[in-house]
This record gives sequence, C-alpha cells and structure tokens, in this order.
Amino acid sequence: MGVWVIFRSEASRGYTLSAPATAYVGFLVAAPLLILIAYSFWTQTYVTLDKTRTLKNYSDAFADPLVRHLMLRSIWIAGAVTAVTVALAYPIAYFIAMKARKKTIWLLLITIPFWSSYLLRVFAWKLILGFNGVMNSALLMLGLIDEPLDFLLYNEFAVVLTLAHAWAPFAILPIYVSLQKIDPSLLEAATDLGNSPFQRFMRVTLPLTIPGIIAACLIIFIPTVGDYVTPALVGGSDGKMIANLIQVQFGAANNWPLGATLSLIAMLSVGFVAIVFVITATRLGRRIR
Amino acid sequence: MTEKNIIELRGVEKRYGTFLAASGIDLDLKEGEFFSLLGPSGCGKTTVLRMIAGFQEPTKGTVLIDGQDMDGVPANNRPTNMVFQSYAIFPHLNVGNNVAYGLRGKAPKAEIDQRVAEALEMVELGGLEDRGASELSGGQRQRVALARALIMRPKVLLLDEPLSALDKKLREQMQFEMRNLQQSLGITFVMVTHDQYEAMTMSDRIGVMFNGRLKQVDTPTTLYARPCDQQVASFIGEMNILPAQLLEENGDTLSVDAKAFGQMEIEKNPNVATSARDMNIGIRPEQLEITSEKPEDYPSTVQGKVSNVAFYGENIHYHIQVAETDKPISVSVPNYFHTVDFNRGDAVWLGVQSASVIDLGTDTE
Amino acid sequence: MRRPSTLTAYAFLYLVFLYLPVLFLPLFSFNSGTIVAFPIKGWTLDWYRKLGEQDTLIQALWNSLGVGTVVALLSTAMGLFAARAFVRYRFRGQRAAEGLVMLPLVIPGIIVASSMLVLFLFIGLKPSLLTVVLGHTFLALPFSVSILKSAFDDFDASLEEASYDLGVGVFDTFRRVTLPVVSPGIVASLLVTFTVSFDEFVLAFFLSGNQPTLPVYIWSQIRFPAKLPNVLALGSILLLSSVLLLVLAEYFRRRSSASGVQ
Repeated sequence: MGVWVIFRSEASRGYTLSAPATAYVGFLVAAPLLILIAYSFWTQTYVTLDKTRTLKNYSDAFADPLVRHLMLRSIWIAGAVTAVTVALAYPIAYFIAMKARKKTIWLLLITIPFWSSYLLRVFAWKLILGFNGVMNSALLMLGLIDEPLDFLLYNEFAVVLTLAHAWAPFAILPIYVSLQKIDPSLLEAATDLGNSPFQRFMRVTLPLTIPGIIAACLIIFIPTVGDYVTPALVGGSDGKMIANLIQVQFGAANNWPLGATLSLIAMLSVGFVAIVFVITATRLGRRIR
Repeated sequence: MTEKNIIELRGVEKRYGTFLAASGIDLDLKEGEFFSLLGPSGCGKTTVLRMIAGFQEPTKGTVLIDGQDMDGVPANNRPTNMVFQSYAIFPHLNVGNNVAYGLRGKAPKAEIDQRVAEALEMVELGGLEDRGASELSGGQRQRVALARALIMRPKVLLLDEPLSALDKKLREQMQFEMRNLQQSLGITFVMVTHDQYEAMTMSDRIGVMFNGRLKQVDTPTTLYARPCDQQVASFIGEMNILPAQLLEENGDTLSVDAKAFGQMEIEKNPNVATSARDMNIGIRPEQLEITSEKPEDYPSTVQGKVSNVAFYGENIHYHIQVAETDKPISVSVPNYFHTVDFNRGDAVWLGVQSASVIDLGTDTE
Repeated sequence: MRRPSTLTAYAFLYLVFLYLPVLFLPLFSFNSGTIVAFPIKGWTLDWYRKLGEQDTLIQALWNSLGVGTVVALLSTAMGLFAARAFVRYRFRGQRAAEGLVMLPLVIPGIIVASSMLVLFLFIGLKPSLLTVVLGHTFLALPFSVSILKSAFDDFDASLEEASYDLGVGVFDTFRRVTLPVVSPGIVASLLVTFTVSFDEFVLAFFLSGNQPTLPVYIWSQIRFPAKLPNVLALGSILLLSSVLLLVLAEYFRRRSSASGVQ
C-alpha cells in the first residue's frame, strides 16, 4: 500500500525534495565563482585569452590608483547609504511595530515601491534632480530660487540619495521584525523599575533590536557596494563606483580577466568590511546595561 | 500587619467604550498584609492591579498609595514594583544586571553589587550573578523577577499570576516560600490569581471579583464558610447548591424546606440577602456523610444512587444522583482506610448537620 | 492619546518621500511637452498611443513576458519542493541549505551578472533569452522558497496525516490535500517571481544579447531625450502592472495562510 512509503527515512526525503533548488543555487554560485577565480589568473591581450597563470591582474589592480579610489569610494558611498537609510528607517519601523493599528497595511504600503522596477525608480530620481528637472523647475516656478541648482545631479550626493530611497523598505523590514519580537512586558518592567520612556528605549528596546539593525545594514551595504545602475544614471563622473569599472571590462574594454579580478577583490573587500562591522556592532551592543 | 491603609481605592472604574473592565471598586489594603485578588479569567482583577501599578489610568475614582493620590503619577514614579506573569526577564542582560537594573545610576557601583548579592541570597539564588538569562529554569526566572522587584524596596509589591507558569509541585513550594518571604520582609503583597487554593493558602485577605465587580473581601476562612452569594460560593472550593423554600425567619435563623433534605433550621448568612421564598442553600462536599443504611445521628437525610466515583488519592469524590434535584450531589470522603466503599450504581444515604448548611440567599440576577 | 504625535507625522512624511519620486513618472507621461519639468504644458494620451506602434518595444515586451512566465514556473516548482522539505522534514545541513537558497538576494548584482556571463560562455551558451531565464530563476528562487515556506508553515501537517490514515497514498494526498491548500501560496509565488523577472535589469542587461527584455529596452532609450515621453509612458505601465500583480500576490498569500488552518 502507499502508506508504508512514509516510513522511508525523513532525511532522505528532505534531501531529495530540496535538492533541485539547492543544487541550482549552489551550482550557480559555486561554478561562476570558480570560473571567475580561474579567469583572474589569466590575461587578455586584445582578442587572445592567455591561460598561463599569473598574478598580473592582481598586481595591476592593486597598483592602479583608480581601482583603489573607486573601491574606497564605493565602500564610502555604500556606508553612507546604509547609515542614512537605517537611521531614517528605524523611526518608521518603530512606528509600525509599536503604534500603528493596521500594521499589515503599513507594511504593504512600505514594500510596494520596492517591488516596482529598480531601474525606473533610479530613472525617476534622474528626472527629479536634473538641471532642467522636476525639482529645479518646481523651485523656479515657486520663486524660491533664481537659477537652477546644479549640485543636485551627477555626483555622490545624487547616488546616496537615490540609493537611500531605493533601499528604504529593505531597512525597515528587519528592524520591524526584531521590534515585533520584543515582549511588551519587558518594556513595562523597565517602566516599573523607574525608567523614563527615553531610558527604556536606550536600555531595553535598542539593544534588543541590534540583530535587526545589523541585518538591515548588511542587506543594504553588501549589494550597494556593487551597484551599477545608480552610479551609471545619476553618478556622473564624480559618482562612478567599482561596478561601473567592472562592467567596462566585460563590455567595451574586453578584458574579462581584469573584470574577474576586480569582482573578486570587490567581494573580498565587502566581506571583510561586513565581518568587521558585525563584530564591532555586536560587541558595542553587549556593553549596554 | 499594621492598621494603616497602604492602598486605598475609591470608586475606581475602568471603562473601554461600552465595556466596563472594572467598576465600583472600593478597597482598603493594610500595610504589611498579603492580599489576593481572586476571580475567573476576564473578571477585571489584572486591570485593578495595573491601575495600582500605573499602567492603566482609571476612568473614574481615585487610587491612593500611602495616602497620596496617584492621579497623574506615571508608573515609573510610583512606590510600587511588579512581578509580571511572564517574569519579563531582560534577555540581553545576565542575572546580576537584571536584578541591578532599577538601581543603575541611583547608587554607587559597590553598593549596587552588594545589594544585588543580598537580593539573590534572599530568593536563594546566591552567587548566580553571571548566569545568562536564557539559562534559567522557570522557577529561577520567577525568583530573579522577585529579587529584581524587591531590591527596589517598594512599599507595595504587585504580583500578576506569579506562579501560573510553574508546575504543580514547584508552585506549591513557591507558595510557602513567597508567604514566608512576605512575612519576614513585612512588605504589602498584592497578588492576582485565578487559583483559589493559591489565594487561600497565601493570603491574609482575599478580594473576589466577578465581571469587573468586587463581590466579597474577607479572610480565607470567612470566605469559605460564609460566601456572600452563589457565585462566590461555587468559585471558592466546591459547593453543592440546592434549591430551598424559605418558611420563616426567626431572628438569627431561617426555617427552610430544602427539597432534598427536608425541613431544617439554618443560621442566617449576614453576607447575603434573602428576600423571597425561593432561595438556595449550600453544602460543602466534605460535610456530607455517605452511608449504606439511613444514618442515625443526622437529622437531615436523603436517598440516592452513586452515579460516579473519582479517586483523588487523599480523598474520594462520589457523585450521588437524588430524585429531588437534576444535578448530582458531590460528596468528598477522606481516604482514611484506603478503601473505596461505594461503587457506581450503589444505593446510598446522605446525611448532613444543619450547622453545615449555608444560607445562600435569593438569586438577584 | 488621540492627538497625532511627531512619530505619526514622520511616518506619513516618510510615505510621501517613498512614493512621490515614482509618481512623477505617470504624472509627466500625460504631459504634452517633451521635457520633464514644471510647469506642465498640457495633458495628452499621445505617448501611450504611440507605444503600440513600435515593433522593437512590442518584441521586448513579448520577450519579457515569455521569460517571466518560464522563470515563474521553474522557480515556483523548485521552490515548492524545497519549501516543503524545509518545513516538513528535518535533515542535516538543512539550515545551511536554507541559507544557501537565500544567497542570491545578497550577492551584488554586478557580481552575479558578470560571473554568470563568464560561466555561460565557458560552457558554450551565448547570451540569449535562455541565459536570462537561467539567471532570473537564480534570483527568483529565494522569493519562491520564502513565500512557499510560509504557506507550508501555516499548513497543518495533520491534514496530510489524516489522509494517509484513511488509506490515500503519497502522490494522491499531495494532489488532493496539499496542493489545494497551498495553491494560494503557489499563485502568490508565481506572481512574485514573474514580477521579479519582469522588472529585473542588471542581469538581463548582461545576459540578453540581441533579444532585449523590456527593462533593457528602456535602458537603451534613456539616453535619447526625444524618446523620453516614450519611456515615461512605458515605465508607468510597467509600474502599474507590477503593483497590481504584487497586490494580487499578497491577496493570495493571505488566503493561503487563512485556508491552511482549516
């Protein structure tokens, strides 16, 4: 009968069922990575791919001031975006978790913009911040300025603003989840023991939401370092990031080995910064009493 | 316990829209007493506790603590501390920091450490300052919650169902320990519970609440012997409630015709209003005698058949179906001889002394 | 207690900040002028009408629809089995597997794009709609797995056990009990993964070769000021359809939580 089939080991069924998904992802993470690593040790001269193993790409990359500059700028911009987004997101996550009555509606409202095309959202900011764009023309029409502002677009500021807008929902959700988990009686206990609302927030709420804050920071920081679209559309020459340089290697410059090398260097740098951040943040969090 | 009123509630009411969580609460609690608010879930007892604590503002009436009106005084400024039902142990702090929480910034570190050590000794958790919050058992969490509240030296300690999360054995042990602690400290304890046995073992006085109203405030013995109405009678311990007809009032006594047991003279219950001919009487199961032959020394008797037998170890409960009532009468017999004398289907006699019959007055609902 | 606090005001302001920039797209798509600036010259539906006349646009639209559908089916199918495994069974390495499946969400887009391009060329696959499908399925899996995991979470296991107890076999139980109950979750997953693919740009840009998807097409138009209104109209339609699809998906996801408890 079919019933005895259930008695086949639970573990083996688990493996079989989840295998397609995990294998697919695993393969598409591992294989490209391995190939990237291979490529990073090869060199490209015009149209020929020289497969002799060499560290030339790495030494070129590390020696090139442009690479260092772009890498640092990417980390700096990603850091700024993370800080701004998380700082702006915390109050609204707090609002939804603690004060709002129709939580699910708020959450839906917050996530819908995220669901629309990222490209379109960046494009919208390009239109807003331009010299002849929405912002300037509105300010001119209202008589608040005489000349259009030219510092709005094609620089780091535009990149940070656009990305802070794009990543907002990503920051809100993890913080909201960790706020939700806080047992309300903990807050009452803190009040009962003499804390003012501010003290209570600093000594109980904030420390308990640190995992959520860290998650939010990582979710925003890691992909932002490698973002391509925003710097390309609104960054101008001042706002270019490492991803734009990588794209050029795979496109016009046709230097895939270098592109692979840059990708790997970017990944390692991001990983390093992320680990340092998590360790520091957790340690700082533990100090709160 | 002194004669001074440490808490006074005057006409306290809490209304949510059309719903009255608590109304007409008038209560005086004495300094140093162990007081319990008892009632079924949803009766408003926790609401009253939280109004004393300051987590809820009464919609009417005043709350006075040590003579001071608490109107406008937020919870963090009141001379009360609370032990929460979930214990609310801060998960991000170890035991020592949990207990020290309320004192931080209010005393030098050395003094805080000293008082924490003392508080933990008092609840028998001495030396566990460094234990993490997640490593504690249920009983230990309860003690940490106690220590954390008591270290603040409150005038009143409020306890919201503090033992409900513990298993039976631990609960009984903690009942003794908490009572002893309260008596040695001399602080007023106000406890909310739905467990009547817990309330009776631990309290100096009990306030019974139903549907937002305070029905009766008395010592455990008085509550048990002279409940003010049917509701309170059946909530505290087990009670057989039987219909009766009022025949005559004779000063301190009533002449009644209890349908099942016949005519008898019973003591008038001062806590109750008997206004009509139709009334109720109550008999505790342990005060009924069950025999196979008609009992000689009991003036009031009735015949019936055993419909159910329940063995509780220390006593045996019999349910006896009698002709005159729908509900079976419950009889409790101590398990002296370790035998179960009667079985299902046996014909038996029940006897009761009139002194054991409680006047429960007329239904007012 | 009823007076709005600063926090509430902040919350509403935040919503304005979130929505306003995007709302300019539809706003100016009705503008008869070709510059996106105030004041608005006049109102017109011309730009929308002109959309239907462009063959490359229509072709890109079909490409996106096709890719999206395939991606939705593939990722939902794999996600369905994986989610069931993660929720129902316990096996070693389960946590690692669950984490692995979520990886596509955190890897920077440029890395995913460039490394996949390298991989596909390495094994001889030229950039085409097929490579886009493969790439998008990779990106969509975390979404389908998490949606279906929560659908299974809400699904009482004893429903299946009761079915077995009554003598129904594994496959039939799956067909007669499991599928109907989690079907709203399946629909939600299909809608979300479709939208993820439909909206996605970076991966498609690297992997689509000569057959652009709609976002890639939009990208190619952005640098031409004359095509601006075109992009606005198209973009607005894209926005609206994504929002509708996702609200629909949320509706189904809710229904799946509700039905599982019966």
